[in-house]
Amino acid sequence: MKTGFIILEHPADIGIEAYGKNLKEAFEQSAVALISFILDASKIDSTELKSIEIFASDHEQLLVKWLSEILFLYDGENFVTNSFEIEKLTSKYLKAKVKGEKFNNCKHPTKLDVKAITYHQIIVEENEHGGLIRVYLDI
Amino acid sequence: MFQKIDNYRWLIPKSYKQGMRIEGLVYADEEMIKHIEKDQTKDQVANVATLPGLVGRSLAMPDAHQGYGFCIGGVAAADINEGIVSAGGVGFDINCGVRLLTTPYVESEVKSKLEQLLNQLFRDIPCGTGKSGMLEVTKTELENVLNNGASWAVEHGYGKPEDLTHIEEYGKIPGADAQRVSKRAKERGHDQLGTLGSGNHFLEVQIITEIYDEETARNFGIYKNQIAVLIHSGSRGLGHQVCTDYLDTMQDAMKKYGISVIDRQLACVPIKSKEGQDYLSAMAAAANFAFANRQMITHWTREAFQRILGNGDLKIVYDVCHNIAKFEEHEVEGKKKRVLVHRKGATRAFPKNHTALPKVLQEYGQPVLIPGSMGTCSYVLVGTEQAMIETFGSCCHGAGRAMSRHAAKRDTSPDELIKELKNKGILVRTQSKSGLTEEKPDAYKNVSEVVEVVHNAGIAKKVAKLLPIAVMKG
Repeated sequence: MKTGFIILEHPADIGIEAYGKNLKEAFEQSAVALISFILDASKIDSTELKSIEIFASDHEQLLVKWLSEILFLYDGENFVTNSFEIEKLTSKYLKAKVKGEKFNNCKHPTKLDVKAITYHQIIVEENEHGGLIRVYLDI
Repeated sequence: MFQKIDNYRWLIPKSYKQGMRIEGLVYADEEMIKHIEKDQTKDQVANVATLPGLVGRSLAMPDAHQGYGFCIGGVAAADINEGIVSAGGVGFDINCGVRLLTTPYVESEVKSKLEQLLNQLFRDIPCGTGKSGMLEVTKTELENVLNNGASWAVEHGYGKPEDLTHIEEYGKIPGADAQRVSKRAKERGHDQLGTLGSGNHFLEVQIITEIYDEETARNFGIYKNQIAVLIHSGSRGLGHQVCTDYLDTMQDAMKKYGISVIDRQLACVPIKSKEGQDYLSAMAAAANFAFANRQMITHWTREAFQRILGNGDLKIVYDVCHNIAKFEEHEVEGKKKRVLVHRKGATRAFPKNHTALPKVLQEYGQPVLIPGSMGTCSYVLVGTEQAMIETFGSCCHGAGRAMSRHAAKRDTSPDELIKELKNKGILVRTQSKSGLTEEKPDAYKNVSEVVEVVHNAGIAKKVAKLLPIAVMKG
């Protein structure tokens, strides 16, 4: 399976279908998609590194927590990210390195506010073809 | 398979889906019900009906559309002893709501200075995506905002004490506890106080174009050709994070209480559980943040009117929440019962003589504010006894989306839309042109048809219609 994401339509909000040659890549792509809704990721310089560690009860919760973390870095800590590397991924644990920089209003004009990550029709799958994620965002 | 009860009521019987403990009921006309059947609204109403301890019916208002877990436009009441509270049943934007201000002006007195007025409002009221607040409150101050709501704002010079009378719950939901709001939620919210936000949030300068009920309109301080201001905003990142946090808490705690749900977004816990009580305290705090937010926006709106037109004496008609859970007394199967009413994209619509209303409104009933989509009309309605009988004193909250954001953007360019609105006599200022097209008028259902259904069903009665002349969007 190729690596990337597509946008899914929803009457009020927006969904992401992210895929990769394994689930790690699909997780990474889902974060790329999330940031791309909020701002132009090409304007972000990857100058600062942050480590993220997440514990959850299953894959779906892990995904929601992962994307909620990326959203919180932006909305709570003013840190915008454009590089995501999942170092370890099990069904209950995720360890990642993300790179980015301090949010700057002039340098990073924003496009959309994402309120939250939802469990609506959530899919986290891995098979012999690769990893697939489907997740809807509340806008 | 809806069962038609009458022209405006459609039943979802318990046999529709396994596990339904109560019936579902959708308010719609023949055309709307066809539209509602196209998305997952019906299933979501049925899914809500499977939750433990609900009373009456799982309801959807005529503006209903597919949401997450609960549909938008959903109402569900839970028994306070046996029932549950669901963070998803309130939604991410806790106390997203609407506030209507009347001005001392009529249309002809404002027209020549309208552009100047809109520019001033746009300068004075932070709006748009991300963080743009004019003030950053300290940790302690934020706790005061969360615990005290609109009265915090009034005490700090944003408005007058009498404003509080005209806000649902007097601008302060009882039981709020800032300690139950996570550090993360506070970090997301501390610099967003006093901001309009983006998406479907807006501030509109409007004209009262029609009066349907002269006596009630007079009591609300509304008259024909009067200029009014409608503010639509919520609890910003703080509220979104409170919902995210407690969805997680509820997911984990459900097992402990032996609750399983059809859709994870419906995660819920018993009202009396520690997790339930914590959520309700945090939700009330986030709701208070939203009340303070709208109070500050009101203050800056008054200042802009004062500066440009010379008189900033704008009065609040009312301020309603449309994403909230409230403890209220309702009659269930012939008995008065205290229940927790979840309103997700639905408005409280209490009738006259209801003790929750301030004395000045008891004679006529609660003003119910229904904003339309950008560039279309909005309505003021009044609550009725019928709503107390059928809908736990609730009615619709707006037009309700009919088109995805993506589809809306695909069909229209922002400049075309601005021109189209200008031709209709509506000025627009926005931070995000692409965001503007997502909110274009035909991306929503026709608000007049939605209002007609609630009026004809008797769960609220029309009082006045308003048309926008200037729109400010995030």
